[in-house]
Amino acid sequence: MIPLSLLIMSLLLSCGGAILCLLLKHREGDIRLGGSGVGIAAALAGLGAGLTAIGAGQPAVLDAAGPYPFAHFVLRLDPLAGLMIAVISLLSLVAWIYGFAYVREYAGRGVGAMGFFMNAFIVSMMLVVAADNGFWFLIFFEMMSLASYFLVIFDQDDEAVGAGFLYFLVAHGGSVLIMAAFFLMANQAGSFDFAAFRAHPLPAPLDSVAFLLAFIGFGAKAGMIPLHIWLPRAHPAAPSHASALMSGVMIKIGVFGIVKVGIDLLGASAGPAMLGWGLLALAFGAVSSVLGVVYALAEHDIKKLLAYHSVENIGIILLGVGTGMIGMALHQPVLAVLGLMAGLYHLLNHAVFKGLLFLGAGSTIFRTHTKDMEEMGGLARNMPWTALSFLVGALAISAIPPLNGFVSEWYTYQALFAAALDGTPLVKFAAPIAAVMLALTGALAVMCFVKAYGIMFAGAPRSHHAEEAREAPAAMVAGMAVLAVACVALGLLAPLVAPVMGRIAAATIGTAPVTLAVGATLLPGDAQQATLSTPLIAILLIAMAFLPIGLKAVFAAKRGGDRKVAAPWAAGYLPDQHMSASAGGFAQPIRMFFAPLYTMRQAIAGRWTGIAHGFERVVTLARRTEPLADRSVIAPIAGAVDASGKWLQIIQAGDFRIYCLYIVAALIALLALAV
Amino acid sequence: MLTFSHLILGLFQALLLLAAAPLVSGLSRMVRAKLHTRHGPGLLQDYRDIAKLLTRQDLTPPNSGFAFRSMPAVMLTTVLVIATGIPMLTRFTPVAPIGDLITVIYLFALARFFFSLSGIDSGSSFSGIGGSRELTMGVLVEPVMLLSLFVAALLAGSTNLGAIGSAIADGHVRSATATVIAALSFAYAIYIELGKLPYDMAEAEQELQEGPLTEYSGPSLALIKWAMALKQTVVVAWFVGVFLPFGSAPEMTVFGLLFGLVAFAIKLVLIFAAVGVVENSVARVRFRLTPQHSWVGVGAASLAFVFYLVGL
Amino acid sequence: MITLPTEPLGLLALAAILVPFGGAAAIAASERASAKWLCQGFAAATVAVIAILAMSLLGDGKVGGTFELISFGSVSILGLVVDSVSVLIALAVISIGLLVAIYSAAYLNAGNREHPDIGRRRFYAFLLVFIGAMTGLVFSSTVVGQLAFFELTGACSWALIGYYESPKALRSAAKALLVTHVASLGLYVAAALLFLSTGTFSLTAIADLSPGMKATVLLAILVAAWGKSAQLPFHMWLPDAMEAPTPVSAYLHAASMVKVGVYIFARGLMSAGGAPEIVGWVGSIMAVLTLVYGFFMYLPQVDLKRLLAYSTITQLAYILLALSLSVFGSDLAFKGAIAHIFNHAFAKTLFFLVAGALSYTAGTRLLPSLRGIVTKSPLLGVAFVCAALAITGVPPFNGFFSKFAIFAGGFEVGAHHWALMLLVVIALAESVGSFAWFLKWLGHSVPGKPSTTMAAAAPLPAGMKFVLVALVAMTVVSSSIAASWLG
Repeated sequence: MIPLSLLIMSLLLSCGGAILCLLLKHREGDIRLGGSGVGIAAALAGLGAGLTAIGAGQPAVLDAAGPYPFAHFVLRLDPLAGLMIAVISLLSLVAWIYGFAYVREYAGRGVGAMGFFMNAFIVSMMLVVAADNGFWFLIFFEMMSLASYFLVIFDQDDEAVGAGFLYFLVAHGGSVLIMAAFFLMANQAGSFDFAAFRAHPLPAPLDSVAFLLAFIGFGAKAGMIPLHIWLPRAHPAAPSHASALMSGVMIKIGVFGIVKVGIDLLGASAGPAMLGWGLLALAFGAVSSVLGVVYALAEHDIKKLLAYHSVENIGIILLGVGTGMIGMALHQPVLAVLGLMAGLYHLLNHAVFKGLLFLGAGSTIFRTHTKDMEEMGGLARNMPWTALSFLVGALAISAIPPLNGFVSEWYTYQALFAAALDGTPLVKFAAPIAAVMLALTGALAVMCFVKAYGIMFAGAPRSHHAEEAREAPAAMVAGMAVLAVACVALGLLAPLVAPVMGRIAAATIGTAPVTLAVGATLLPGDAQQATLSTPLIAILLIAMAFLPIGLKAVFAAKRGGDRKVAAPWAAGYLPDQHMSASAGGFAQPIRMFFAPLYTMRQAIAGRWTGIAHGFERVVTLARRTEPLADRSVIAPIAGAVDASGKWLQIIQAGDFRIYCLYIVAALIALLALAV
Repeated sequence: MLTFSHLILGLFQALLLLAAAPLVSGLSRMVRAKLHTRHGPGLLQDYRDIAKLLTRQDLTPPNSGFAFRSMPAVMLTTVLVIATGIPMLTRFTPVAPIGDLITVIYLFALARFFFSLSGIDSGSSFSGIGGSRELTMGVLVEPVMLLSLFVAALLAGSTNLGAIGSAIADGHVRSATATVIAALSFAYAIYIELGKLPYDMAEAEQELQEGPLTEYSGPSLALIKWAMALKQTVVVAWFVGVFLPFGSAPEMTVFGLLFGLVAFAIKLVLIFAAVGVVENSVARVRFRLTPQHSWVGVGAASLAFVFYLVGL
Repeated sequence: MITLPTEPLGLLALAAILVPFGGAAAIAASERASAKWLCQGFAAATVAVIAILAMSLLGDGKVGGTFELISFGSVSILGLVVDSVSVLIALAVISIGLLVAIYSAAYLNAGNREHPDIGRRRFYAFLLVFIGAMTGLVFSSTVVGQLAFFELTGACSWALIGYYESPKALRSAAKALLVTHVASLGLYVAAALLFLSTGTFSLTAIADLSPGMKATVLLAILVAAWGKSAQLPFHMWLPDAMEAPTPVSAYLHAASMVKVGVYIFARGLMSAGGAPEIVGWVGSIMAVLTLVYGFFMYLPQVDLKRLLAYSTITQLAYILLALSLSVFGSDLAFKGAIAHIFNHAFAKTLFFLVAGALSYTAGTRLLPSLRGIVTKSPLLGVAFVCAALAITGVPPFNGFFSKFAIFAGGFEVGAHHWALMLLVVIALAESVGSFAWFLKWLGHSVPGKPSTTMAAAAPLPAGMKFVLVALVAMTVVSSSIAASWLG
């Protein structure tokens, strides 16, 4: 009962916050304070709800009838929903803290409306993950897209409106496909309740059809390739704290949906079909991860770069989820729990470090007034806390030990390894290939974030704004600091977090929990196999660090003090600002070596112009068809009636003697008939 | 499982390699000198260089920041930590939580991250290009490394480096052909990772003036040279520990450790001598053509994978 | 024989029909200045009557009843049927009538930048006559009653379309009247066949017909429905009917008169107690054809009212599709159709009245020149957005809930016939297409910097503001009202 009460309290607070933001129309100082305060309170309540739901033994269920007789309003807080609610609440907590200072950027442009839509967005996300009825799930899913649509078009310029259009169109198309999948399941189950879906599994080819529809629908929301086209336009257009929420949480709801439909709802019919689903998820995950990071490397706009990285990380999460499904299909509970747990752990980690990176990007944009990396540079001097947080985020997303990104990727690798050891021949073939693609992704991600951090924060300032930048306001730094600490904590405290993730995965799949940690060591379910210990790595790194520091101290007395030279060596030329590394130049080798992937993207874009031309022709055809009915049906009939009328006018001769003749003729005719 | 004595062994092995690394790089220098029919500076020259550099002033470029100044320490620390986990004197990994093939690959990525970042931070164009190339080589090489090690791990049943080594030493691998081909492709990847000609991309003396090392001086340069020598030694030790574990001690006994040490030293010297011969016989590959070379590695690793799948 | 109903339900229903007629007579006898106040007053009185009727019905447990008005022996000529469906639709029609009356008072004056006018008595009189005729049709229990009120609504429509008396308006009015009158032949045929087979005009007698005769009667009613609801092949009058003043377009040609067609078909199916499948096939196929045609006709439109006219055509096609699918055994589809009649009325009225507000304040309703609506007038911008989202079926607005029920029912019956599933899938695709088109225009017109036409817009009168706010509220709650009412 506690999780439900906390959840309802959080929802009520958020709704209250939404109304408050609208009522305080133009008093922006009050909106900032009140909105953030209520938002933080709501997020804390939500965090409590999520954490207690994860720890609870039995899922808490709320069944309220609601006005629609064909669908009850049912909420169910199982551990998976608890995890999602905890993630949503953590990020919204940070977003409200950050937003307290950040919305000054939008002063006079409708801060109240922004608060309203943010609250609506958070409420609908929480209700989506908790809903246990297909009808209500869809309602909140669409409301989530609607609320974030208004956040995306907030700038109200052509680019934002275009981005919003593409975003909402893809989201709506996806939810129509999900609706179709739910209809198929409801036909079998006789009701829209998820409990009924679970109890009445679909027969053989229909369950794959339903899964495929849901996979594409939720994949569009998650930003999986090839349905990712909205991500790089929508996330940069929205305000940074909204982008952090969208990229950190909303796309995860797409993956949550795939897990919900594939494992939770259709899981009872686990069998050879689910093996295909798992391999499908694995394939799309691998392709998304590689292509996402390859496209990220080519970007100069920091927010677009981060958006493409979200595509990559969704791919990595899908690798874990796919392996979990393969484990379920092969009736290997350890593999299933390991795979799903790796995916869910990466979901949590990505939410944290992607949120951190977006907030960091937002802080730099706030101070330098540009989104282009090539106009920043040297910000570490003037914005040390932002730089440090961004560095932590960059290390985490590049899966550098001992931070959190590495732990979840390690588990993903171990899951793929376990699948390759004990799977069917097809799985034995696919899993190592997926692992290799994951390795490629990791290496590319390292390159991309060295570039991003380096160009933005290291070196010399590249523009006047970068020189003049100051540290971000305290609230924004506080928000980033919370997430940075979370990154480190989730990495170092992995021996505590991994078993919790494992329990959530086991509860979702419906098997017994698997040992994932002993003391301070992490295990992939099997003690004979490899182990990992992030606390040990951290301790060793810190301990060994004393060695170089000590070595440097040797002969310190003999040498002169450290000195700054006038300029770096440029082979005899006077060094110029433009000689240092640039974003484009740094990534140029990859653009060269992976050229086919980039030309493929251009070729596909070229197709779209062809489609646009075809559309123009359809519009012209419609314009010409419109008056057809009038011209070919109405006009001839009207003309014929008119013509016959005019012809009949012959009768009206005008001479009354002719009319008397008519009367006589009629009389004679009638008399003749009577006789 | 990790015991205190194992941890001490790991630390001992790391410090041993730290002390021996300049000797190994000195060996490479002597091989090169002899092939050039010169006398050469002597095996201990690198020690003298490091000592001299430690007495020099540390100059930093303007506009460089925290990343530039911290890179030498980070790199040396990381490679030392990796060294504690590689099985060198023994068949098992001393510090098992670090002795996992994935952890080792990603710890090297940590070193590479800061190495390349300092290239941008220094503000020098040569360093920037060097950093970019270092990362690109990582992109080309890491998948090959992972695939060949993965095949070996699948054959052995675990991703722990010691477990793989033990399985190969005991002959408990299902497919000998796959193991051999995997070893060859891993060796090729290691060679590229060593950064020796013809794959001397990041430092490219002829082209980039030592790349990211350009702006370093004094104690920082000393540490970097030491770290790079140590990294090369650790990388070769990685190969030896996984695919050539013959002679290392199965148990932690004093005699076994000594025997393992001698065997390890012999293997290291032989390999570095062979590497020295190869690197002095070729010119550097054009950067643009490197992918063609790394595709060879991919092909070899894939061949090993196919052999593993088929079970020959 | 003329018998007055004795029970309160019957009396209230009769009152709801007669009060507007009385109001029209009062307007005819009064002077021009008081016409609009009389209209609003009598419309409000009718709303009170229907509200009391609804509450009585609720208290009665939604049982209702049938009341004879005019009959010759066993031949029932005119009667009243009061049940949950008829009261729901009557509620919608009458309350929207009141809102339109208030809006018209604010619209038909010299401040209107597109059509400055003085607000003639005949407008308000015909509006009240129409309310009465529409209520009469909804409560009618015989085919003859339906026919009489059908023709009466047609006459009102003719008078109101031609209100501005321009040549184009007069031509459009004549076209509307003639096309719907030709289609009404279907209803004549149905009445004749029903009388010949069963000896009475009462709708409940349809259940006693043989399957072949039942199919013929229902198909004849369907033909009349196509005409009145502007479906293929009788669709061509609706876009031109947009020559009418915008409150008329909103009320007659979006919320009420076009609903006559779908209502008589629904009533026919309800009374038939199990219709033959041929009716379902013909209805579904023609509905989907109309859907697709209507969608393609969106594409060249730049006049907001014409775009909304084609949107009305497609939404009515959805309702007819749902009703036809319910023939195959889906109760959910039928309830969804009735709910959609209710929901769509409010949503479409809102959208049309927004268009009217735009032509009143900015002087144009051509979309390309309307940009930045929300910046200039937040209320209009919000109303535009709510209306567009309600029409395209995005929760939490009302269109989603009825469309969901329709598609759920469609999938239910589609599981048994692959051809029906194909039709439902086409309808789903069209739904996404409509959404995309309206979202495109929404993105073009609502946010951003106001265009020159929009920047020069006059402020909105209070009457219009009140009506728009009421309708926005209804677009959110009407689905819950419909769902809980229908049960």
